[in-house]
Amino acid sequence: MTDTANIPRVVLVGLASCFGCQINITNVEKHLMDVLGQIDMRYWQLTSSDPMPEDIDVAVIEGAVTTEEAKRTVEDLRSRAGVVMTIGACANTAGIPGIASRAYDGRQHEVYGEHVPALVEDIAFVPQAVHDVVEVDYEVPCCPIDPMDFVKTLQNALYGSNVYRHSSTLCGECKRNERGCFFGRETLCLGLVTRSGCGARCPNLGRPCNGCAGLSPDANVESARHAAEKSNIDVRAFDSALEIFNMIGMGEQRV
Amino acid sequence: MLYRVINADELPALIEAFMKDYEVVAPVAKGKSFAFEPIASFDEIVLDYPTTLTSLKKYYLPPKETLFEFNTGGGGDGIEPYEMSVKPRVLFGAHACDINALNNLNLVFDDSRYPDPYYDAHRKATMIVGISCSPTSTCFCHLLESDEVRSGYDLFLTDIGDRYFVSIGSVEAANILEAACDPREADDEDRSSFRKATRARQEAFDEGIPHIQEIPMLMDAFHSDEFWDELGGRCLSCTACSSVCPTCYCFDIVDVLDPSGATGRRDRVWDACTSPQFALVTGGHNFRSSTKERVRHRMYHKLNGFNSQHGRYLCVGCGRCVRACKADISPIEVLRFFEKKGADDAE
Repeated sequence: MTDTANIPRVVLVGLASCFGCQINITNVEKHLMDVLGQIDMRYWQLTSSDPMPEDIDVAVIEGAVTTEEAKRTVEDLRSRAGVVMTIGACANTAGIPGIASRAYDGRQHEVYGEHVPALVEDIAFVPQAVHDVVEVDYEVPCCPIDPMDFVKTLQNALYGSNVYRHSSTLCGECKRNERGCFFGRETLCLGLVTRSGCGARCPNLGRPCNGCAGLSPDANVESARHAAEKSNIDVRAFDSALEIFNMIGMGEQRV
Repeated sequence: MLYRVINADELPALIEAFMKDYEVVAPVAKGKSFAFEPIASFDEIVLDYPTTLTSLKKYYLPPKETLFEFNTGGGGDGIEPYEMSVKPRVLFGAHACDINALNNLNLVFDDSRYPDPYYDAHRKATMIVGISCSPTSTCFCHLLESDEVRSGYDLFLTDIGDRYFVSIGSVEAANILEAACDPREADDEDRSSFRKATRARQEAFDEGIPHIQEIPMLMDAFHSDEFWDELGGRCLSCTACSSVCPTCYCFDIVDVLDPSGATGRRDRVWDACTSPQFALVTGGHNFRSSTKERVRHRMYHKLNGFNSQHGRYLCVGCGRCVRACKADISPIEVLRFFEKKGADDAE
């Protein structure tokens, strides 16, 4: 390819996360070259230590914002990239790092006692999802992401799409898989409040949903708690399970 | 309609005869529930299954179906020649409500203004063999005129003890029945047993589900009642109701690219009016932005709107949504509301 003028320049940046979503992208070897052939991959934190380029079109961000530096990075990417895409639970909901957001003040003292090191004080920052720091155009959900979902979302960003993201919760997809309900077996499942789109993959493999796709903006947590209660599921257990990936998203919905 | 009687022990031979030329789909045990699935032998079939988790509509309107394939480069319009593959199929063991449900779907997709070759191809390749049933605690088909079915099947088997009273709906099925079994004319005893079986079914419905007259009219009369706030307020926006519903037929069309970006396909996928984005339009307006409006809309289509267009309820009272909804939202709740309104008025 000689003419690179119209090839979208993409960067992939990792913040607080396990880097599992980036690794998962490399797992689709079969299609990776196809995908890379459509973009100009300028920077990929996992695969190269080359410095970040100046000019970018699409910024892909993995991980939660947990330091001032990360916040500046995200803001900088937003100002330079036409499209910002977040991948994985950590970036979308603050995920596992987000668990630390609750009762954040004083946490350092719990760990370090009276004398908190200056370095820790300096970087102290309440974990946030990327969309709480800057506007995000596309989100690839779940922990980890489905790499094919990443490919589709990247293509949406590059070429446009008539597929819109539903905010309905998971049970409809679960029923399409012809699965009975865990609640009938008095087993906790977070599908009732978790955003659909993953195809209810875990329940289809016999495991309850753990909410990694994030609380749907249309989640009816109160009604779901009531449903849990009726199925002899402890509401506190329901809430604490939900906190794993949705500590921040639960916000005012917390009892 | 032609009626014959066969012995119960002739049923395996009938199934085997169908299996020669058709994929046979029948109710089988699945986990704690039952599902319609292709079978390999008669023994897999659970003839007296109570109900299934999902309905037969998936065989006429699959949750996802490719309509055609395209390429983004090259010349022409980019549309690739596409031939859908349709399996000749027998849906065996459908209850009356489910055949009525398919009849309702046919009314929708038969519309000559909007021919649907995909649906039509599935339908034309499908034979339906119904079977009698005994109502479960969530069945209310009798309240919505769907506990009996008079058309839309090739055979309908009513269990009358050690034999079946067979209603014959097509020549094709009659020929297969004739060749595989030894159908005989019904005698007085068969007819008496048939009446007894029918009566037993009618008497087995849960009396706790209120029998309401003039449901479509009441729906209009109570359109603004705060009952809908309460009912909709519980909605989880999960769309389980429409996934399991035998008569929810709404779909969306999505274009999906292959990883190369050079080729792709246009798919039809199930949609649901209980999905928050269902009535979202260009410009950002959502015509039904609240759960109250969405739940109410769904109930109106099932118990009112379809009636004015097609003269019958869209809901067939199969009870699947009653089981699937964790928030206890179902047409039964609407009937209970009307009952309560009636009781309040009487006071």
